[in-house]
Amino acid sequence: MCKKNKVGIQFFLQSINDVFCFFFDLGKRAKKTRIFYLISFLPVMMALLIKFLQPFYSNRNIEDPYIFSNMIMVFYLQFLILILSLFFGTSVCSEEIEGKTLIYLITRPISKASIIIGKYGAYMVLVILMTVIGVFLSFMILNINNLLDFSIYKVLLRDVSVLILGIICYSAFFTFIGTFIKRSILFGLIFSFGWENVIQYFPGSTQRFTIAHYLKSLLPSASSTRFSFLLFRLEPTSPRVAVLILIILTAIFLAIACLLFTVKDYILED
Amino acid sequence: MTIRERGYAHWDGELEESKFSWWPIATYGVKLTFKKKFFKSFFFFTFIPALAYLGGIYVSERLEDFHFMIEESAPFIQVNPAYFKSYFTNDFLLFIIVMIIIFAGAGLISDDIKYNALQLYFSRPLKKKDYFIGKASVIFFFMALITLIPGLIFLLTKIIFSGSFKFVLSYPWLPFSTLGYSLILIVFFSFYSLSISSLSKNRRYVAVMIFGIYFFSDIFFQIFYGIFKNQYFSLLSIKANLKQIGAFIFGQKLPYSIPWFYSFLFIIAFCTFGGLVLKRRVKGVVIVK
Amino acid sequence: MTSVIETHKLCKWYGDVLGLNDVSLKIESGITGLLGPNGAGKSTLLKLITGQLKPNIGTIMVAGEKVRNNYSLFSKIGFCPEQDSFYEEMTGLQFISGLLRLNHYPFPEAQIRAKKALEIVELVDEEDRVLRSYSRGMRQRLKFAQAVAHDPEIIILDEPLNGIDPLAKRKLIRLIKDYRDKGKTIIVSSHVLPEIEAMTRRVILIHQGKIFAQGDIHYIRDLIDSHPHIISVKCSDPRGLAEKLIKEECILKINFGSSKGSLLIETNNRDRFFGVIPFLVVENDMEVYEITSPDDNLQAVFDYLIGK
Repeated sequence: MCKKNKVGIQFFLQSINDVFCFFFDLGKRAKKTRIFYLISFLPVMMALLIKFLQPFYSNRNIEDPYIFSNMIMVFYLQFLILILSLFFGTSVCSEEIEGKTLIYLITRPISKASIIIGKYGAYMVLVILMTVIGVFLSFMILNINNLLDFSIYKVLLRDVSVLILGIICYSAFFTFIGTFIKRSILFGLIFSFGWENVIQYFPGSTQRFTIAHYLKSLLPSASSTRFSFLLFRLEPTSPRVAVLILIILTAIFLAIACLLFTVKDYILED
Repeated sequence: MTIRERGYAHWDGELEESKFSWWPIATYGVKLTFKKKFFKSFFFFTFIPALAYLGGIYVSERLEDFHFMIEESAPFIQVNPAYFKSYFTNDFLLFIIVMIIIFAGAGLISDDIKYNALQLYFSRPLKKKDYFIGKASVIFFFMALITLIPGLIFLLTKIIFSGSFKFVLSYPWLPFSTLGYSLILIVFFSFYSLSISSLSKNRRYVAVMIFGIYFFSDIFFQIFYGIFKNQYFSLLSIKANLKQIGAFIFGQKLPYSIPWFYSFLFIIAFCTFGGLVLKRRVKGVVIVK
Repeated sequence: MTSVIETHKLCKWYGDVLGLNDVSLKIESGITGLLGPNGAGKSTLLKLITGQLKPNIGTIMVAGEKVRNNYSLFSKIGFCPEQDSFYEEMTGLQFISGLLRLNHYPFPEAQIRAKKALEIVELVDEEDRVLRSYSRGMRQRLKFAQAVAHDPEIIILDEPLNGIDPLAKRKLIRLIKDYRDKGKTIIVSSHVLPEIEAMTRRVILIHQGKIFAQGDIHYIRDLIDSHPHIISVKCSDPRGLAEKLIKEECILKINFGSSKGSLLIETNNRDRFFGVIPFLVVENDMEVYEITSPDDNLQAVFDYLIGK
């Protein structure tokens, strides 16, 4: 029985690997990936522009690390990773249904759960690569005068880790949404820029009903005298608990997505 | 008397080309949008700001009755051009407009490209301009229902509730401002949504792009303004430009201390660019290499 | 002979619409044609057999196992869908080898098998072109290639001959017969009777979600032959021909057609009629301009079978 389970798990992991390779390969060459790479490089362009304009505004004494942490990072956290996760997360299931290519996957000797997890994994790697490269480049540009100060790399590592956690959790949520809602993009936009933005401003435990709350709990709070429009009224959760909750949420969303995908009948409209 | 033969009788009259060949495209597009599952419920909510402002007009005429409730916010309930400007340029309305054009506009051209329907359109006596007018009419319809129509209803309601034409005589240019600004919003968002819709055959990408470009432009502005405190960065934001034009048209103080016509030029440039994209992307035949 | 695919009292609803109604079948190895007009339920039946849909009532057993969510069974099944949909940015070779990777073949073997499958359907020269640029016929052949690339025991083809030119059709039919000779179980669905006739004698007739007939094609033809056929003949001497024909036992009724020189003949034995008419024409030195069968189509077959 134990051996049978081992073989079963091995087979499941092998299926996930095969699906991952298939969609990573497909995703690498897809036109949409190139477009989203360009979009994820917009903060790099912003950083370049800021650096270019800074000599003309020498009276404005704002440090580069501050610009990176409170503007570029906030842009990534509150906008870019949401858009990327929304698009790629919902694509895990919706793309196959809309493109009617689902047939090719569900008539292969692979479990439906492995399709979800494998494709999710492939898209996650692509999105994380897009984001990390952009963050790294914009960080380098903005901290060009302090590159030999190794303490700044701790900040970079922390910020990149938070973004990666955010991508993983948001994408899992949107993958789950994509398995049962037809207009998942619209729902995702309302969730990302409606719910996630509005509820954070509520006091007490209400904030804990957003993913953004746990991500921001992992970042140091900005001082109230500074430009910190998005950290208003944050009552942070402890970092360890925040990471644990994000991981648990990811697992739950993926598990429900796999379950729904397995039991649901998807009728591909002609 | 000759006995008429049964069967097909050839039409001997002259075949006239319809003057409004875009009309079927417009009506079909509107019907199709209403068929979408959650659209009707969503569309109901888009009238909430208009209803709130309409309520404000009623309250303004009954200030004495509501005086005990709204003492501190009395200046808000003054119905004047600023009141109209605050309706047309408020963030919530602009957000709703973006959501409406995602629902109604995202698939307008992208679905035609996806299903190779452009060949079907242009194999009929339909010019490209008729096709664009038809598609834009769908956006026009929905946007007019939340901009132009409520604006005109506000005017009418104010006249009826006040019982005189004093309001219109005090601000005779206000109806034209309402019409003008509504048209600016409608034309801009028509170009905006149709040009983005023509960029991809996947409606989902188009929806994300419509949303993303609009909000990204504003975030861009917020970041650069936060760093450099230069109001000229407001030209980067679609929302800021529309607010600037709105303030000028309703004769109010401009939110940003830059000339209003810079914002107007930005809007025109954006529409021109959108028009060029549309002209290039919408073709009867596509060669796949 | 043991059945490879068995269904028992299968029913499937799409909301209020009944897609399949009480379908009980036993399909053996060899080619079985699934015949029915558009909307009959052919695709629904094939989707149920391949586990894409869950039946509301009834069971399906493929190779002795339940098919729903039994993914290991799919290494034995190859499915060619009706829909024209692909991962458009892939090339033909990438598409097939990618799908073979999902069948757990290692990369080198997947490449070899993919090339072999493309060779079978004569798409080797186009293997490096993106699928977006493939013609309709090429796409159809590619679908077939992906269904057979992993050498399955059961091949299910949903309208495989749609959009293919006559020469390619013949080649594909020959290919399907080759797979039958290798001992595979093949189900081919179509709404075109001659296509099925060219492949197999064993058919299942489906209409409005119900199985109307199952078995040898000649049995179905006999059913047709027991109902009157209408044949239209245009000739130089319709009255003379009518006078001769009326004496034949197989002729039930003769009407004069609306166009000049045409006869509408009702017969209960088409084969006998077509045997007699050449002799009569030659004997009486007549000229025949046209012989057509206004009701020789699938709809007429079904009309007869369902008693319309």
